Amino acid sequence: MSAVLQDQHTTTKDWLNDLFQVYEDGLNGHRDHPLAEFRRRAFRELQEQDFPTRRDEDWKYTSVTPMLKQPYQEGRPVALEAKDLESAVYPELNAVKLVFTNGVLDTRHSDLDELPEGLHILPVSQAMEEEETRRWIEAQVEQEGGTGKNTFLPLNRAFAGQGLLVRAERNAAIERPVHLIYLSAPGADPHFAHPQLFVQAKTGSRLILIESYRALESDSLYFTNAANWIELAANARVDHYRLQRESRAAYQIHNTLVRQDRDSTYSAYAADLGGKLVRNNLSTTLLNSNTQTNYYAIYLGNGKQHLDNQTFIDHAVPYCQSNELYKGILTDSARGVFNGKVMVRQDAQKTNAFQQNSSLVLSPRAVMDTKPQLEIYADDVRCSHGATIGQLDETAVFYLRSRGIPERQARNLLQQAFLGEVVDFMDLEPVAERVRALIEEKLREA
Amino acid sequence: MLHIKDLRVSVEDKEILKGVNLDINPGEVHAIMGPNGSGKSTLANAIAGREEYQITQGSITFDGQDLLDMEVDERAHAGVFMAFQYPIEIPGVSNATFLKSAINALREARGQEELSPVELLKLLREKARMLGIDESFLKRSLNEGFSGGEKKRNEMLQMALLEPKLGILDETDSGLDIDALRIVADAVNQLRGPERSFLIVTHYQRLLNYIVPDYVHVIYDGRIVKSGDKELAIQLEEQGYDWIKAEAVAG
Repeated sequence: MSAVLQDQHTTTKDWLNDLFQVYEDGLNGHRDHPLAEFRRRAFRELQEQDFPTRRDEDWKYTSVTPMLKQPYQEGRPVALEAKDLESAVYPELNAVKLVFTNGVLDTRHSDLDELPEGLHILPVSQAMEEEETRRWIEAQVEQEGGTGKNTFLPLNRAFAGQGLLVRAERNAAIERPVHLIYLSAPGADPHFAHPQLFVQAKTGSRLILIESYRALESDSLYFTNAANWIELAANARVDHYRLQRESRAAYQIHNTLVRQDRDSTYSAYAADLGGKLVRNNLSTTLLNSNTQTNYYAIYLGNGKQHLDNQTFIDHAVPYCQSNELYKGILTDSARGVFNGKVMVRQDAQKTNAFQQNSSLVLSPRAVMDTKPQLEIYADDVRCSHGATIGQLDETAVFYLRSRGIPERQARNLLQQAFLGEVVDFMDLEPVAERVRALIEEKLREA
Repeated sequence: MLHIKDLRVSVEDKEILKGVNLDINPGEVHAIMGPNGSGKSTLANAIAGREEYQITQGSITFDGQDLLDMEVDERAHAGVFMAFQYPIEIPGVSNATFLKSAINALREARGQEELSPVELLKLLREKARMLGIDESFLKRSLNEGFSGGEKKRNEMLQMALLEPKLGILDETDSGLDIDALRIVADAVNQLRGPERSFLIVTHYQRLLNYIVPDYVHVIYDGRIVKSGDKELAIQLEEQGYDWIKAEAVAG
């Protein structure tokens, strides 16, 4: 390791140590609480690990140095005004809302008390007081999610104090979506937030999760390191939406680790619009056969945005299906990365795996690095993968303009259509509508 | 209305039009005929403003304005409409969204207020009915998976909605069966009026049985070598283009 890098790591570890010490000092009588133990263990793990560098294959195109060099403070809650929530809440969804500001749960604006039957939401600190649940949580965090060592997972576990456990009871079809609204409000110091979810979808249950990330000020600096552990029992279905509109200066690392038992369906739908540097690690481990896994995501980067998607689907058992479609547009000096790995192990016969990444790179300084990877060790499977990088079809631009549509609008329409293919997969129409509107808004402001 | 003077056009440095002169007055229907490769489509595309067509000499004025100085969309705002020989398929843009965008863009350029979604829908339905087009057409992606006939019918729907002063049909009839041809002709005939002119580029006389032109011009080797009335088209259908070529060579 170079001396500069060594210094960098020392600096990062210093402020992390300081921050963890602040937590320890504030524990008082709660020193022996299972969550304190859990966090302490994660912090020790963190101390033994190094943050990834660009020499690590999975981080080749994304440097975390700028994200980690400055010290952060724990986020402080702010009193929200009605207008702050207006643009973040989707009233037509009638969702169970959980509002966080700067990483801190705002109980006043959250619907913790009126949950539909079969749905339980409780703080991780409380969940851990129950022996069986604590063991379940500890089992979840044991998994690596196939992407190998990911330092940001112990980082999340060490610092998250506001994590939630979401549980759908056996055979409970929860119609109301659970909407996690993560708002960032500007504060004195750059803050560090650790959204954390443990999701238990029990046998035959149905659950819709929506995570939305939104900055109340467009250029405030903060760092969000989110982690979700989601387990689907047999025949469960989870639809998981993620709408990301962080500030132009914000950093986000987002980790989701999914485990699926037989006959379950997990669908991830994501839209990355904001953020300065965003890295998503999404992985699914298939535990039993006849599962369905869908990843649909868009990314739309301008300015100097850096949007990185890493996905991993581990087909270890037969008769499973996965579909993965990532589409994105990069302009100005924006960079995009897609590194999608699908593993089809020897026992995973009759696997259907489809993966596609398509990008439009619309400026000479914009860059897209894509690496679709399919590793197949079984011989009776149907798998395909592909990646394309292109520009807008100029004959289509001419066609639209020849009907009087101004050039800018013609190009925007074609970009919306390009991303719209992914948005159309979103079953939840109010969310799909919102995503379409956000895309249109971002294209207009560019 | 449209005045073309000594127009020379090159495509990829190859001169296709070698000095075309043409005047079209309001309400007139002109047909441009000619053998393959003579430059008739080039003329249509140069008027519409396609970038690959480089104007090396000459002028086109439209309603007194210099058309060559105008962007493609500005030409549409001024009232030029070209029905494409090969309409482009655009997956993901619904026909309705496309038509609404085009109508409101034109209205905005002409200083008119945007139409409300309700007014737009009413207008779309009315024109679709006029052209015998099923409403389901509007919900589909623009031209995606349309048959040849459906694409051309969609071009006619656009023309009916945008109400241009000059409608150009670029070999709209090629590859169409007789029913589709009638639909195209009906649309043009319905839109004919004292203020609206048409330039119909075609290889075959067939279309001109249904759209009776006021003038017929023959392009050969980049120049208009013969002009006449609808009788000229019939003569071409009977005798082919060879006699035109012979006359042109003889000068």
